[in-house]
Amino acid sequence: MTKVTINQLHKDDLPWIIEYDESKCIKCGRCSATCSFGAIKPAIEQRVKSGSISEKNKLEKVIVIKQEIGFANHCRGCGMCERVCPNGAIRAVRNTDDRYSIRYRSETAESVKKGGRSNLNTEGRTLDKIKVGRISQMTDPSLDALRHTFELKTPFGRVLSADKLGLNNENGKMIETKTLPPNRWIYPIIMGDMSIGAVSWRMWEAMAIATAYLNEVCGIPIRMCTGEGGIPSRLLKSKYVKYMILQIASGHFGWNRIIDAMPDMVEDPAGILIKIGQGAKPGDGGMLMANKVAKYVQEIRGVPKADLLSPPTHQGLYSIEESVQKMFLSMNAAFNFRVPVAIKVAASVTSVSVYNNLLRDPYNIVGGFFLDGLAAGTGAAHEISLNHTGHTITSKLRDCYKAAVKQGRQGEIPIFAGGGLGQTGSFAADAFKLICLGANGVFSGRLLLQIAGCVGNDTERCNACNTGLCPAGIASQDVCLTKRLDIDKVAQNLVNYILATDLELRKLMAPTGCSSLPIGRSDALITVDKNVADRLDIQYVC
Amino acid sequence: MFNNKKIVINGIKDNDRMSTQALLQLIEEKVEEGYTDFEINACGQHDIGGSSWNKEGKELNFRITNPGQRVGGMARKGTNIYVEGSVPADVGWLNSGANIIVNGDCGDTAAHCAASGKIYVSGRVGTRSGALMKYDPKFETPEFWVLKNTGSFSFEFMGGGIAVICGYDCAGIKSVLGNRSCVGMVGGTIYCRGPIQGIAKCVDVIDLNENDKQFLTSGMKRFLSAIDKKGLADTLLDFTEWHKIIPLSTEEKTKKISVKDFRETQWVEGGIFGDFIEDDMSVFELAATGKGRLKQPVWNKEQCINCELCIKNCPNDAISKTEDNKYLSSDDKCIGCSICATVCPKNAWTMQNNKKEIS
Amino acid sequence: MCRIGAIKSKKNIRPSTALKLMRSQQEGHDDSGFAFVMQDIGGIFETYKDLPILSMAATIEGTRLAEDILHDIGFTRVLQWTPDINNKQGLKINPMPNYIFEVLAYPKSHKYATKEEKEQLLVDTSIRLRKALDENHSGYIYSFWNDVLTLKEIGSPKDIGTYFNLWDDDNELCAKIITAQCRQNTNYGIVRYAAHPFFLEGYTVLANGENTFYEKNRLYQEGLYKGYLGFESDSQCFLYSLHYVNKILKWPLEYFMHTVFPLSYNDIDKRNGTEKEILLRIKASLSHLSANGPNTVLGVLPSGNLICVCDPKKLRPVVIGRDSDTVIMTSEVAGINDLMPNRDLTKDIYPKEREMIVVDDNLKIERIVQ
Repeated sequence: MTKVTINQLHKDDLPWIIEYDESKCIKCGRCSATCSFGAIKPAIEQRVKSGSISEKNKLEKVIVIKQEIGFANHCRGCGMCERVCPNGAIRAVRNTDDRYSIRYRSETAESVKKGGRSNLNTEGRTLDKIKVGRISQMTDPSLDALRHTFELKTPFGRVLSADKLGLNNENGKMIETKTLPPNRWIYPIIMGDMSIGAVSWRMWEAMAIATAYLNEVCGIPIRMCTGEGGIPSRLLKSKYVKYMILQIASGHFGWNRIIDAMPDMVEDPAGILIKIGQGAKPGDGGMLMANKVAKYVQEIRGVPKADLLSPPTHQGLYSIEESVQKMFLSMNAAFNFRVPVAIKVAASVTSVSVYNNLLRDPYNIVGGFFLDGLAAGTGAAHEISLNHTGHTITSKLRDCYKAAVKQGRQGEIPIFAGGGLGQTGSFAADAFKLICLGANGVFSGRLLLQIAGCVGNDTERCNACNTGLCPAGIASQDVCLTKRLDIDKVAQNLVNYILATDLELRKLMAPTGCSSLPIGRSDALITVDKNVADRLDIQYVC
Repeated sequence: MFNNKKIVINGIKDNDRMSTQALLQLIEEKVEEGYTDFEINACGQHDIGGSSWNKEGKELNFRITNPGQRVGGMARKGTNIYVEGSVPADVGWLNSGANIIVNGDCGDTAAHCAASGKIYVSGRVGTRSGALMKYDPKFETPEFWVLKNTGSFSFEFMGGGIAVICGYDCAGIKSVLGNRSCVGMVGGTIYCRGPIQGIAKCVDVIDLNENDKQFLTSGMKRFLSAIDKKGLADTLLDFTEWHKIIPLSTEEKTKKISVKDFRETQWVEGGIFGDFIEDDMSVFELAATGKGRLKQPVWNKEQCINCELCIKNCPNDAISKTEDNKYLSSDDKCIGCSICATVCPKNAWTMQNNKKEIS
Repeated sequence: MCRIGAIKSKKNIRPSTALKLMRSQQEGHDDSGFAFVMQDIGGIFETYKDLPILSMAATIEGTRLAEDILHDIGFTRVLQWTPDINNKQGLKINPMPNYIFEVLAYPKSHKYATKEEKEQLLVDTSIRLRKALDENHSGYIYSFWNDVLTLKEIGSPKDIGTYFNLWDDDNELCAKIITAQCRQNTNYGIVRYAAHPFFLEGYTVLANGENTFYEKNRLYQEGLYKGYLGFESDSQCFLYSLHYVNKILKWPLEYFMHTVFPLSYNDIDKRNGTEKEILLRIKASLSHLSANGPNTVLGVLPSGNLICVCDPKKLRPVVIGRDSDTVIMTSEVAGINDLMPNRDLTKDIYPKEREMIVVDDNLKIERIVQ
């Protein structure tokens, strides 16, 4: 018998326990062959041979499947073993008495890291307390979601007030007298922004293909944000780059390749997104663990195989004014002021001041404000950031919109809201409500992964994106795992999901009598929660 | 006709306008009394000529000036309505068999939901006209004839019946059916003469066949004689400018290239990562064999004691022994479950990580 | 759905014509009110074209309050006209104690003022009057402008006509332009200010419809200009957008359409370079002035031109009939049939979606397709 001491790590310390029924097991080995974490392995156990108790040592050896006990290879509850077991002999069960985080910290002197999403309780989520309550029925007729025309497009880029448009009436004919900041009309949903490296090349390419397909075949002008992990030159030099919003974050990864590709680019990108912060780990920089820094990631990013920890701020940016000067100006200049440049920040108590500062920027070069709420996901973060920092998206978006209204400048810097959208099942409803509250559009990343087959969720299932061992081949750079992902199926699923969402958005626009996006139409919303009503300034109903 | 009892009703007297309710009740009273011929000088009252019938089955004849909305709305077979002048919206709404002639223009939604009978218009008709026309096989097909053109969004959600838009006097008009016509059309037929633009994608515009021409020839004569414009027959029956519009089937509406085909034919050739990665985009199943294995067993001759436990326990019969006592694991059969390594008493089988980065 | 009408004639017409225009459209309104604006006024006001006419309804206290304010600013009364009241039994009307229509002379301080300065004085005075009357609920000011007279009342149009003796063809009120509405009260409360037509600085607007983007329009307009007040009706947003585009931004008229009913991106994309660029700029910049829902908008411009604009789905009726000296725009053809039974029917115009009709002083009609 192995010695057992109290201070060893034990199965019941772990967040997931493998429930195994040997009587159903045919020892086919499929579960252990499949587990990407190495959390289960075949083992030999002894059994008492059936027979007389008077005889001694009548034990026999049998093969069983056993859970591994360790910090590196503990079970994440992904459930792949259950999927492959022909007999239902094995499954992962949540351990409600786990002591993992205590044990991990006390054994390693390290903070707990993970990927996925924040695990705030989703019950009582604000967006779910809001309904679309102003239904057109008589005087303003409802429209037909399937058959009438709707315009699901929003400006992306700096919008100027009408008196600053440089439009003059010359003898009844309108003429333009100056060049304005670039502005594009795009679909109110932006895919992204997940970097190459954080997700596998197949996942990333599937998103890019889906984006191109939705534009070219379905006529849906959706855009994808690249994330901060660089962009392959082949994409930069293809016509499809026009659907891509190139991200630059504090690591500036891949930008030398972008600069290098410029003379060969046949189209301008859709935009540039300067990532200052993200909702999942506000105030923290990007994090890519070494085991995901594959050779091609090293090349694109210009780094060795090592943990890549981007700084929390852009070096050299000491203030909003500075960021306008350096980042916005440079990024605008990069494409000769033809491409909208936007900023992404984590929602925060201070977001309104940031937004106001940008609105007042005299150079008018801030083309979008991406506000990321705390329910957003990430490829890797310290658990402490993921679970305990951030700001909810709904009220902060509303605050920013109302701050703009107060100055009569709503819409001048389009706001895109994100973070945990679709968390409780309906992305379109979340998007519609946020748009009514003042967003020009929304963005979502994590949801795309779930569409692609990610089994992670808000209650600690899997969430091992940081390990590079993603069983679905999504957040991994391993060949065997990545090749589990069917690129065509994933791209098709993404396309289908957006098409369904598009229909559902129209199913909300139609009964509210909107043939164009209801940006700022908070009068369409109601809530049964008085606090929500007061905070968001929407109608309280009961 | 000499048997017919005839009455004249004025909708306005000494500046006092009758309400629609009063007028309709008066008409109904007179129908009850056996009157069959009505001359109604209206003042915008609604629903004139609708849903009345004579107890003895005689036809009811209405001659109307200046009605309001829904003239001939819900009118029955056996009702003949003639309107002198132009009328507001909803002429012949839910027409259930009446013959309605308007010698003038019609407002919006003329013939809306018309289910039987005939509606003849000597002018133009407004927006959403012909919307939701339908056909019930137990009744005569509804017909809707318009000498000029329609407003936009005409024939929305049309489910059946026949509409004929003659495009007369439409010089300079870009589309005789207006813009965005036929949205949601699932049944029925529209014949139209002249240019059409911006028609919904759910319909097909085709040429006339012989039956169509025959129908138009005979129908046109009745129509033109009803609106007293027989002289136009030659012009209107020149079939070179006519089109026929029918709905597409659901399958025809939803044809689209698959994403896989899109990737293979239109996407960046060789994939956007082609500079770094050779990837044929094949998919590994879970618990795959060969290169899809996460781990693979390696045999170490020095350790092996030839007990063959590995061969006996391998769930996939992947291990074999050669004549010179070498143990081989077949890549085609082995899934990398590591049972061989587990059962081996001497560590002759070790598992090697097959997981690797793409190169 | 209410019913609206606009008449422009080479001859003077009386309010009775407007009442008759709306009479056959009776089923389209609910006896909740009648209002009209007269412009290019004849009769007793004819000789005062250069002086502003104040149109208001007030309590005795409100009347006094208004007089004090006008006196304070320095306006002096030139002419006061009070309608003959026929307060016979049983009329469905909810009248105010006083109806004031008076021509005022500008204060001495404005003797040498420019047209713009005088206009600003009228706007500022209107706002001051309105705020004062609102504060103690003592009355309503409808218009204070040269050559414009407004009456709005709650009740049955027919009875309102009787009460003010408007049916009388010898009525001393007459004008070459009359715009009128019979109300179908919808979701906003029955208040006099909510009755169309709405007037601001030479622009008159009345609409048949519902602007579902009212809230976002309002939030944006409130900060745009001091005269954008009230918002008792979602249709006021059209007036303010028209005023903003045409008067403040000084853009050509058709850009009113491009502002309230912007073309879809796909349609703009098909336009030529400059036009495309201009339309996209406006679409993005003034997205908070875009309206939605079913709407037919009629209006009168400072030039005296009549306009008619239909929403992109043409969800509301409107028809234009004419003879040699009059043009009538109204919701339903029945009204025109009553007033012009012998006109040439083939000359009737049924405006399309996204079309603006402009009628000038010679009654020449221009059709501008967006």
